[in-house]
Amino acid sequence: MSRPHRFRLAPLAAVLASLASLLSAPVAVADESPPAAAQRPLRDPWLPPDARNPSTAPPTQGAALREQVERKLKRDFDAADVSGTGTLTRAQASAAGLGYIARHFDQIDRNKSGVVRFDDVKRYLRERGAQLD
Amino acid sequence: MTRLRSFVPAVAILVLAACGGGGGGSGSSSAPPSNFTDPALYSTLPTASLASAAELASVTHHQISVGGTTLDYTATAGHLTAANPVTGSPEASFFYVAYTLDDRDPGSRPITFFYNGGPGSATVWLHLGSFGPKRLATGEPATSATAPFPLVDNTETLLDVTDMVFVDAVGSGLSEAIAPNTNLTFWGVDADAAVFRDFIVRYVGANNRGASPKFLFGESYGTTRSAVLAHLLETAGVTLTGVVLQSSILNYNSNCGVFNPSSAVSCAGYLPTYGAVGDWYQLDNPSPPLAQLPTFMDQMRALATGQYEPALIRFLTQGTAPDPNLLTQLANTTGLPASGWQARFNLFPGYYQMNLLPGAITGLYDARMSAPVGGALAREGDPSSTFIEASFATMITRYLSTDLQYTNPSVYVTLSNAIEGWTYAHDELALPDVIPDLAAALAQNPELKVLSVGGYHDLVTPFFQTERDLARLGPSPSVAVRVYPGGHMTYLDDGSRVLEKADLAQFYRSTQ
Repeated sequence: MSRPHRFRLAPLAAVLASLASLLSAPVAVADESPPAAAQRPLRDPWLPPDARNPSTAPPTQGAALREQVERKLKRDFDAADVSGTGTLTRAQASAAGLGYIARHFDQIDRNKSGVVRFDDVKRYLRERGAQLD
Repeated sequence: MTRLRSFVPAVAILVLAACGGGGGGSGSSSAPPSNFTDPALYSTLPTASLASAAELASVTHHQISVGGTTLDYTATAGHLTAANPVTGSPEASFFYVAYTLDDRDPGSRPITFFYNGGPGSATVWLHLGSFGPKRLATGEPATSATAPFPLVDNTETLLDVTDMVFVDAVGSGLSEAIAPNTNLTFWGVDADAAVFRDFIVRYVGANNRGASPKFLFGESYGTTRSAVLAHLLETAGVTLTGVVLQSSILNYNSNCGVFNPSSAVSCAGYLPTYGAVGDWYQLDNPSPPLAQLPTFMDQMRALATGQYEPALIRFLTQGTAPDPNLLTQLANTTGLPASGWQARFNLFPGYYQMNLLPGAITGLYDARMSAPVGGALAREGDPSSTFIEASFATMITRYLSTDLQYTNPSVYVTLSNAIEGWTYAHDELALPDVIPDLAAALAQNPELKVLSVGGYHDLVTPFFQTERDLARLGPSPSVAVRVYPGGHMTYLDDGSRVLEKADLAQFYRSTQ
C-alpha cells in the first residue's frame, strides 16, 4: 500500500505528491509522516507483534455459540435498563439506541404492560425464526 | 485552483444538485460549480481531529453502457457527518463516493455500502478495482501492464443491480474524526463499527433511502467490520437485506497468517490454497488443469481436515514428528518439497511464498504473481501488492478531480497507521472473533442473506479457513460461499470479475 505523504502547502502540492508516490520515492515532510510507515507490512489484515494474543479456546459453535449470541443481546438490554428493573419501556429502548426493540415494541409486549423483559425479546426473535435456546 | 470561500461555513450544509428527480437526491439547493474544491485538510494521524465539518459534495452526471443498456447515473463525492445516536454530537466526517441510478424508486432500488479493511485502508481498492462504474485495468495476474493503469468503463459494474456508496474509514482516505474525538478514538473493532453505523444512518436519512434494501460489501478487515456492523445496525432498527463478505477474516484467532512467521495457531486452513498455488506453477504432482481445480480443492479440504490437521495438532501439542508418507503427500499436493514441510510442519504463508520458487517470491495477496528476489517488484515482500499500489494511489486523486469534479488539497492516504494503534479486543477476547456477531445479526433478522466470496490463490485470507469459520453457524440457507481463481481481490482478474458479477447479480435478485 502506498506510504502516506503529507504536505501543508497550496493545492499544487497535491499534484506533486501524486507524482512523488508514482515514483515511489519517500519525501521528507515537516512533522507529519510517521517514520514507521516505511517498515510497516503491506498486508491487510496484519497484527502488530504486541497484539498477537490468540485465544486457545476452541471456536464456539452449536449451543455455545447460541449462548454467546444471547449474552450479546442481553448485554445491550441490560445497558438500556438504567433503572435496573429488568424491564424496558419503549422510551428507554429508544433512548439507548435499541431501535429494533422500540420499533417492534407492541409485538414484543404481548400483554400490553408497557414494558418488555429480555425473555419477551427472546421469544419474539424465536417466533420469527431466530435460533435461540 | 480557486478556493471557494463561500463553502467554508462551520454549520453543516448538504449541497446536492437537483438532477431532475434523480434517485440520490433529497433536498435541492444551488448547483455547485463544475469544479468543486473542498478546502479542508484531512489528516490520517492518530491524534488528528477536525474542529468542525461541513457536509459538502460535488455532483456530476454520467452514462455507462452495461449489457447493451445505457444507464444514466449520478456520482456524488463529498462528506457526511456521523453523529452519536444518543447524544447527537458529531463524531467523524466521512468521505464517500456514491453512484446512484437516475429515476429509480428508492423503495425497491438496493443501496450497498462498500469499504476496504486494513484496518486503516482507504476504500480505493474496491472503488477503482471492483464493481464501480470505472475500474483500473491491471491485467492481473500478468505483471506486464505499466503504471498508472488505464481507467476504463467497467462492463461488470454492479450499477445495473444496486446503487453504491464507497466509504473511507475514519483516519484513512479523506475521512477524519471531529473534535473532541481524534482518529484514534475510532481505531478499534467496536468504535469503528459503531461510527460506520452512524454514517450509514446519516447517509440513509440525508438521501431518503429508508425503504431501500440495504447491503454491506466489505473486504478483508472490512468483513470483520461487516459482522459487527450488521449486528449494530439490526440492533439500531436499521434492517439489512444482505451482506457480501469479500476475502474474509471472521476470526483473527483462527487465521495463522496474521501471526506470521510462526505461532501455535494452526495453518491447516491454508492447505487448499497451497495446493491451488502449487498447481498454478505446475509444481504439484500432478498439477490438474484449471477446469479441475474445484475437484482438486475438495480433495485438499479433505486432506487438511482428515490428515494434516490431526497430525498438526499432535505435532503442536506433543511434538510428534509427522509421518514421512504424509510429508510426501503434502509435497505432491502443494509443490513445496517434503524437506520444507518437515522443517516447518505448521506451514505459514510467509514461508511458502518465499520457498516455493527458487530465487523468487510469490505474491501474498495473489500468489499467482511472482518476482525475482532482489528485483523491484519483490522489494516490499509482496509483488502482487507492489504491482498495484502506485496506480491506485495516483489514479484516485486524478479520478476524483477530473471525473468527479472533487478537488481537495490533502493527499489521499491509501493506508494509514491505524493498523498499529488499533484496539483489537472484542467481546471477551483479545482478538476479534466476529462469528457471534454475524450469528446475532441473523438471529435479529432471519431474512438476512450472506454471500462469501474469495480467491483460490489468496495467501492472506485463505478461502478454506473462511469456510470453516462460517461452518460454525451450522448448515444455513442464509449463507452461500463462492470461490474463484485469483487472489484477495478476485475482481482484479478479468475472468473472475465476470463470474463474481454474475454471482452477485444472482445474490441480489434472490433477496427480492
